[in-house]
Amino acid sequence: MTGPVAQALDVVTVKAGDRPIREVNAEIRAAVSAGQRVEVLSPLSRHNLAVGLTGTGEVIFKGSVGYYCGGLSDGGSIVVEGNSGWGTGEGLASGTITVQGNAGMSVGAAMRGGNIHVRGNAGPRCGVAQKAGAIVVEGNVGYSTGFMGHGGRVICLGDAIGSVGDSLWEGTVWVAGEIHTLGIDAKVVTPAADEVAEVEALLAGLGVDGSGRDWKQVVSGQKLWYFEARDAKKWLMI
Amino acid sequence: MCGISGRVRYDSGTVGSDIVELAACMRHRGPDSTGFAVYGPRRERGYVVRGFLAHRPALDAALESAKGALEVHGSRLLGEPTWDESGQPHVLFRMEIDELDDVAGWVNDVESLEGVELLSLGRSLEIVKDVGDARDVDAKHGVSRMRGTHALSNMRLATESLVSPVASHPFWARPFPDVCIVHNGQLTNYYTWRRRLERAGYRFGSDNDSELIAVWNSVQMADGLSLEESLVRSQQELDGVFTYLLGTADGIGMAKDRWAIKALAVVDQPDGIAIATEEQALRTLYVDEVDVINYDGPLLTEVWQASAKGEAA
Repeated sequence: MTGPVAQALDVVTVKAGDRPIREVNAEIRAAVSAGQRVEVLSPLSRHNLAVGLTGTGEVIFKGSVGYYCGGLSDGGSIVVEGNSGWGTGEGLASGTITVQGNAGMSVGAAMRGGNIHVRGNAGPRCGVAQKAGAIVVEGNVGYSTGFMGHGGRVICLGDAIGSVGDSLWEGTVWVAGEIHTLGIDAKVVTPAADEVAEVEALLAGLGVDGSGRDWKQVVSGQKLWYFEARDAKKWLMI
Repeated sequence: MCGISGRVRYDSGTVGSDIVELAACMRHRGPDSTGFAVYGPRRERGYVVRGFLAHRPALDAALESAKGALEVHGSRLLGEPTWDESGQPHVLFRMEIDELDDVAGWVNDVESLEGVELLSLGRSLEIVKDVGDARDVDAKHGVSRMRGTHALSNMRLATESLVSPVASHPFWARPFPDVCIVHNGQLTNYYTWRRRLERAGYRFGSDNDSELIAVWNSVQMADGLSLEESLVRSQQELDGVFTYLLGTADGIGMAKDRWAIKALAVVDQPDGIAIATEEQALRTLYVDEVDVINYDGPLLTEVWQASAKGEAA
């Protein structure tokens, strides 16, 4: 039998290994919805782990995970003791995801709420089409971060590699380090003091000291909000 | 969407079994057909040839004709040819041959035989590709028993041309010995370049855009560019979406287009290099936590030598 093993009163151990992901996820989901703490051994960078969580429990991955970890969840708390692949927390509605290492492309794609916290670097298109919630990256973010963001915040304590905030709608990208290049119709503004206080409070809640930073806030230039024939070249991205 | 993988083993060991594992883990990326390129022990003299014949009953006659063509080109068979016993309507064969006075000439002669296509020719390169997933192809052709320095594989989800062994990756850079490619993506200026290369005398075995990348790079290198220089030039001259691995006798080169949407993850360890579209495939070889390098930026290139660092190539 490879079912969950109760270690202590509220701690459940699940081994991923080469078992069917549906089976692994069913065990994780049941435990999290019951408010338990789950430790997942041998995640082996496999895809779609801990998707669709609900409830107040916690999942700790003892190693790196693959694509879409925690995606489509509406609750739960996930800690990855390693790196995560593409689309970490894609479509997240609520809950928190912490990645101790680096995260791949498209962290928090289309997320609608909750927090994603990456302690290392995040790949390209971080927060693509984000609707709400916050993505905090302590290292650098890859190119096209905030691409087509509709709302919420990407907060980067390191550098933003390039094409930052391309085609942003109403989301914002906060960068404490350097912005290498801006994307189409993106502009940098100095954030208002109350907004800075809000971001610092959010960071403090994650145990990150965000004070005394040189915050640059990337927002939409609003030129792409309405199509104008004379701006057609801006719409043609290649 | 396809998946590609590569492997270098500095101990020249069980590279065949490693490449099958990498490919098997990514079956979901393309189960139509699977192909492997394995660089075995390098010959000082002569070539190893892998071929495809559409009609199994014609095998004896085809091998006899290929042998006759060898004599015309000042060569001969070294040992008896072998072939797969899968019982499929088509058959894959292998032969070892002596030096040729004109490699392209012999290749043309053999491929003018009905239903014959050469899958690879080289001092060390052997390409095996067939319909089915990695385990199916391994069962038919014993890829996991092959030993060598480096290898490539591709799991193909056919989008641009037919499902058949000859339309599958890896593609040999006909007629350049030991050069081949696996590619994830598609080219948009394929026909422009194909017409140019055909005018220059090159012949293509498929209508697959990936084959062109292998020939294109080989032509650049024949014109004096290094592998690195050729990879960089390809990012300007070839238009489209690509992450490709180019196999040569000395190692594996990689180039990625400027949009960089096709993922590639790499493990670089003292025992060798593992390369795959998905990190989870790498973890079939490196089960313990290991540093994984993601090549996810635009316009990246890399060359992995098949000999251990510090050793002469």
